[in-house]
Amino acid sequence: MAWQGRSDAALLTRPGRRGNLRRHWTLYLMLVCPLAYFLVFKYMPLVNAQIAFKDFSPLDGVWKSPWVGLANLVEFFHSIYFWELLRNTVGYSLAKLAVGLPLAVILALALSETAAKAFKGLVQTATYLPHFLSWVIMYGVLLALFSESEGLVNSIIRATGGTPRSFLGQPSDFPFIVVLSDAWKETGWSAIIYLAALAAIDPALYEAAEVEGATRLQRIRYISLPGIADVIVVVTLLRLGTVLDAGFHQLFMLSSMPVMGVADIIDTWVYRQGVLDFRFSLATAVGLFKGVIGLCMVLVFNRIAKRASGASLY
Amino acid sequence: MLRKMSLEERAWQALVNGILLFTLLAVAIPLVRVITMSMTPIKAGREILGGLLIPVSELSLAAYRQLLSHPAFLRSLANSAIITLGGTAMSLFLTVPLAYVLSVKGLPGRKFLNTLILIPFLFNPGLIPGYLVVTGLGLTDSYWAVMLPGAVSVYNTFVMRGFFEGIPEDFKEAARMDGAGEFYILRRIILPLSKPILLTVGLFYAVSLWNEFFGPLLYLNNAKLQPLPVLLRNILLASNVNEYVDFDAMSAAPVQALKAASVVLTTLPMAIIYPWIQKHFTKGTLVGGIKG
Amino acid sequence: MARTLSIKLLALLVAAGIGLPAFAQAKPADVNFWYNAAASEAGQPPDSWAAYQIIKDKLGVNLNLVQLPSTSSDQDTKINTAAAANALPDLFQVQRDVWYKLVKAGLIAPVDSLLKEMPFRTKLRYSDTVRNKLVTLNGKLYGFAEPGALAGTDGFVIRKDWLDKLGLKVPKTIEDFYAVAKAFTEKDPDGNGKNDTYGFGGYIEPLSMAQQGLGSRFDAIIGAYGVAATWDITSAAKFGLQVRKPEFYDAMLFMKRLSDEKLMDPDWASLKKDDFRARWKQGRFGMMTEGYAALAMQANYKDFDVNFPEGEWLAVPTPIGPKGKSSEGPFMRSARILAVSARAVKEGKGPAIAKLLEWMQSDEGYYLLGFGEKGVNFNLDDKGLVSVAGIEPAKAYTAKPQAPLLQLKNYVYTNSANELAVRYVSFKTAKGRTMDPLSYWEAFKANKWSEETGALVINPPANGSDFWRFYTENQVKFILGLQPLTKESWAAYLAGLDKLGAREFEAAAKKQVLEAGFIK
Repeated sequence: MAWQGRSDAALLTRPGRRGNLRRHWTLYLMLVCPLAYFLVFKYMPLVNAQIAFKDFSPLDGVWKSPWVGLANLVEFFHSIYFWELLRNTVGYSLAKLAVGLPLAVILALALSETAAKAFKGLVQTATYLPHFLSWVIMYGVLLALFSESEGLVNSIIRATGGTPRSFLGQPSDFPFIVVLSDAWKETGWSAIIYLAALAAIDPALYEAAEVEGATRLQRIRYISLPGIADVIVVVTLLRLGTVLDAGFHQLFMLSSMPVMGVADIIDTWVYRQGVLDFRFSLATAVGLFKGVIGLCMVLVFNRIAKRASGASLY
Repeated sequence: MLRKMSLEERAWQALVNGILLFTLLAVAIPLVRVITMSMTPIKAGREILGGLLIPVSELSLAAYRQLLSHPAFLRSLANSAIITLGGTAMSLFLTVPLAYVLSVKGLPGRKFLNTLILIPFLFNPGLIPGYLVVTGLGLTDSYWAVMLPGAVSVYNTFVMRGFFEGIPEDFKEAARMDGAGEFYILRRIILPLSKPILLTVGLFYAVSLWNEFFGPLLYLNNAKLQPLPVLLRNILLASNVNEYVDFDAMSAAPVQALKAASVVLTTLPMAIIYPWIQKHFTKGTLVGGIKG
Repeated sequence: MARTLSIKLLALLVAAGIGLPAFAQAKPADVNFWYNAAASEAGQPPDSWAAYQIIKDKLGVNLNLVQLPSTSSDQDTKINTAAAANALPDLFQVQRDVWYKLVKAGLIAPVDSLLKEMPFRTKLRYSDTVRNKLVTLNGKLYGFAEPGALAGTDGFVIRKDWLDKLGLKVPKTIEDFYAVAKAFTEKDPDGNGKNDTYGFGGYIEPLSMAQQGLGSRFDAIIGAYGVAATWDITSAAKFGLQVRKPEFYDAMLFMKRLSDEKLMDPDWASLKKDDFRARWKQGRFGMMTEGYAALAMQANYKDFDVNFPEGEWLAVPTPIGPKGKSSEGPFMRSARILAVSARAVKEGKGPAIAKLLEWMQSDEGYYLLGFGEKGVNFNLDDKGLVSVAGIEPAKAYTAKPQAPLLQLKNYVYTNSANELAVRYVSFKTAKGRTMDPLSYWEAFKANKWSEETGALVINPPANGSDFWRFYTENQVKFILGLQPLTKESWAAYLAGLDKLGAREFEAAAKKQVLEAGFIK
C-alpha cells in the first residue's frame, strides 16, 4: 500500500532490542484472554472430535469409546451419491463465490460513488435487509414467483401463451435459482465489509487523482479497488477454506424430490444420515473431512494470493 | 455539490444510480412480499401480482397482535437484548486485542498464532464435541452458554486484522517514540481510526447473537431465559404442528402471516440500527490520514 | 459437658436411624421432566401453579418441568445431545426411533417394576398389549407407551359443493376418481371463470417408516391398487416392501396419468405442508387426504369458511381399484413414549416418578392437569361432564390465557368419548352448518385401512439416507416424466433398490416385526 514506504524491520528495530522485547511482552499479555478462550471453546471441541474415529457411546464418554478407525468416513465415501454430493457442494460453493463476490463489490462501489445521499441510504438499508429473511420465507417468495400452478412468472408465461414451467422442480433450472436467490438475499450483506474498507481509504488519494485529471473509472481502478483488495483476498481465502459449506439452510429448504440430483449437498446428506439418527461420530468425521479439503484449498490459494497481491491469511 | 456536474460526472452518476435502482427493485420484491404476507388473511383470488400486493382493505394486523400480545414476548425481548448486547461486548473485548496483536508486523510467533486461530475455522467438529465442552463447564441454563461458544469468529478476526494492518505504521511509530505502551496505542490510536470496522464486526456479532436459536434450544432449559427467536419459533411451529390441536391451539392468524410477521418483528431492530451504522461508512473516515 | 453431648448425639443418631424412611420422604426428590407441551406456544405453567405445591406436599416430589421444542426434529436433537453427554432428564417424552437408540446405548431404564407401583395408571393407560409392543425390547418394557396419539386421523375428503355444481356423484372407482379430477380441473367448479383449479392435491411427507416414498397423502390413490403404505405387514409370508408388487407399477402409471394431464396441483412434488394447507383453503383443489383436526377444527377451518361459505368437505370412502381394493393409508397405533433414564433409576428416583405418574391419573391430578381448578377453570355438570357453565370466560379452561395450566394434559387425557367431545368441540360455520371435527374422524375410521402399526418397530437401514432418497426420488421422477416409466425401467429401479441392500433391509425389518409380535 501507498504508505508502506519503509521496511517493517527498520521500523521495529528503532526503539532498541530491549524496548522491543518489552513491547512484545505487552502484546502477548493482550493475548491471554483470547487464547484462553480459543483453548477452551475451539480446541477442546477439537479434542472431543476424536469421536470421529470412534464408535461413540455416551456411557463410555469420549475417551473410553472404542476406536473404529476410518469406518465413519468410509461409510460416507461409499454412499452411491458421494461424487454427486461432492460435485453439487463444490459447484454451489464456487458458483456462489463467483457470482456473489463481484456483485457485492459492484454494489459497494456504486454506493460509495453515488452523489445522491438520501437514495444511497435507502438502497444501502434495503439491500441489507434480505439477509434477515430466513430461507423458509425466501422459499415462500420463490414459490410465489416461480411455482408452476400459481407463480407470478408462470402467470405471465400463461398469459402470453407459453407453457408453464416448474422452475423449482426442474433439474435444469434449479441450480440457477439456488445461486441467484443466494445473491439476491446476501449481496447487500456481503457488501458491508467492502463499504467499511472503502470508508477507510485516505480521501487525499482521491483528491490527488482529481487534480491529476483521472477519470472516474481510473479512480476505481487505481484507488478504490487496490484499497479494498486485501479485504477481498482475505474474504475469498476464508470462503475457499470452507468450500464444502454450500449453504445447508438454503438447500435444505429449496430441495425437493424431483431436483435431488442437483440439490443434495454434503451437509443435507449428513443431516439425513447422521444427526437425525443419533450418528454424531459420522457428522464429526465428515466435518473433519471438510476441514482437510478446506485446509488444502487455503494452503494452495494462500500461496497464490501472497505471490499475486502480498495479502495472506498467515 | 452546487458546482455544475461535468458530462462525465453526469454519465457516471447515471450509471451508478442505475445499478442502485436495479438492485433496489430486485430486493424490494422479497421485502414487500414478506410485509404483505405478514398482513394477509388467507383469502382466495384477491392477491395482485402473485401475492406481492394486496388491497389495503384486506390488510390485517392479526399476526402482529397475536405475537406481541404473547405474555412472554417482553421477557424474551429483554433476554434477547441482554444476550445481544452482552455477547457483542464480550466478542469485541476478545476479538479486538487478538486482531490487533496478529496485525503487528514482526511479532515473533505471528505466523504460528495465525495458524492457531485458522485451524478451528477450517475444522468444524460438529454438534456433540462442542456441546460436551459447554455442558462440561456447567454453563447449562446461563446466558454464557449462548454467548461464549461463538464469541470469537475467526472470520471477523481476520477481517479486522486486515484493517489494522492497513493503518499506517507511522501513526503507531510516532506514539512509540513518545514512549506510549501498546495498550495506549490500541486504545488511543488504532481504535479511533477503526470505527467502520469496529461497527461492522460489532454488527456481525450482534446479528448472529440476535438470531441465535440453536444455542438457547440446547442449553437453556429454563423457559424464563429464552430469547425471542425461540419464543417465535415455538409460536410458529405450534400453529404448524396442528395434527392433534384442540381447543386451546387457536391461532388468530394464518401460519404464513405469523411466519412473516415474526421475521418483520425480529428484523425491525436491525433495520433501525443500520442507518446509524451507515453514517460512519462515508468516505474519508480516516480523518487527517497521511500520504505515504 | 462432653458426656451430655455424646448422649445427645447418640440419641440423635438412633432417632435418625429409626426415622430414616420418614426422613427420606420429608426431603423432596427432584424429578426433572422434559415434556411435550400440549400448546407449546403458550409457555410453561406459572411458578404459582397449584399442582407444584400439591406434588411437593403430597408426594414429596420437587417437579422441575422443561418444555421440549415444538418440532420433532428439534426435540430429537435436544434429547440426543443430552444423551451424548449422559445428561438425560429423569423422565422425558421421546420418539421411538430415538428411544430405540437410547435403549441400545443403555441410557433408558426398564420400567416393569415401576408399573406395579402405579396400578391405576397402568390399568388405564399402559395395558394395551399392541401398543406396549412398541416399547418392549428383550421382553422388558423400556418406557410407558402413552395412548396419546390417535390413530386413523387422516382421511380422504372431497369438495361436495364442487360435485354439486358440476352435477357429479361421489367417485366410487378409481376411474370415477379420474373423471371427477378431470372435471374439477377443466370445468371451473368454483365458477370464477378462471382455469385455476385442480382435481387433487397432496405433498410428500415421509413421517414414519410406513410413509416413505410419496407418503400417505397419496395413499387414497395408491391404495386403490392394494399397495398403500410402505410395507405389507399382513403376514410373515407376505411381509415386504409394497414396491415389489406388480400393482405398484400400475399405481405409478395412474399417478403419471394424473400428473401428465395436470389433474393434480403440479407443485405437489415440491410443496410443503404449510403451502398445501394454504392451497386447499384457497380452493385450489377438490380432493385430498387431510387430518380431521387440521381440516375441521374451528381455528383451521375458518379461513376456508371465509373464502367459501358454501364450501363443504365431505369424508367419503376412498376409490376402489381394478381388483376391488381400497385404503385410506397406514393405520398406526403410534405411541408417545415416556421414558425414564437409567441414571434416574440409579439415583433411586424410580419410586418418586411412579408416585408422580400415579397421582397425575388420580381424580385430583386428572382434573387439575386436564382442565384446571374446579370452580375456577371448569365445572362438572350433573352428568359429571366437564363444562364451562358459570365460569368467567377468561378463566375457562378453554380460554387461551389458561393454556399454560394445561400443558401436561396429554399425559392424563384418556381419549374417552366424553373427553373427546369436550376437547374437539363442534361449531357453526358462517352459513350455519354444524361442523363436528370428530364426525370426520369417525367417518375416516369406518373406511378401509392398511394396518401398519408394526412398521413403527422397523429400524432404518444403515444407508438410510441413500436408500430412501433413491426409493422416493425415482418414483417421483417416473411420475413427473423426468425418466420414462416402462416395465424395463421399473425393473431397473427395483434392481437398484436391491443393489442398495433392499433384500437385507427387508429381512432385518421382518425379523424386527416378528420379534415384536406384530406378525406370525
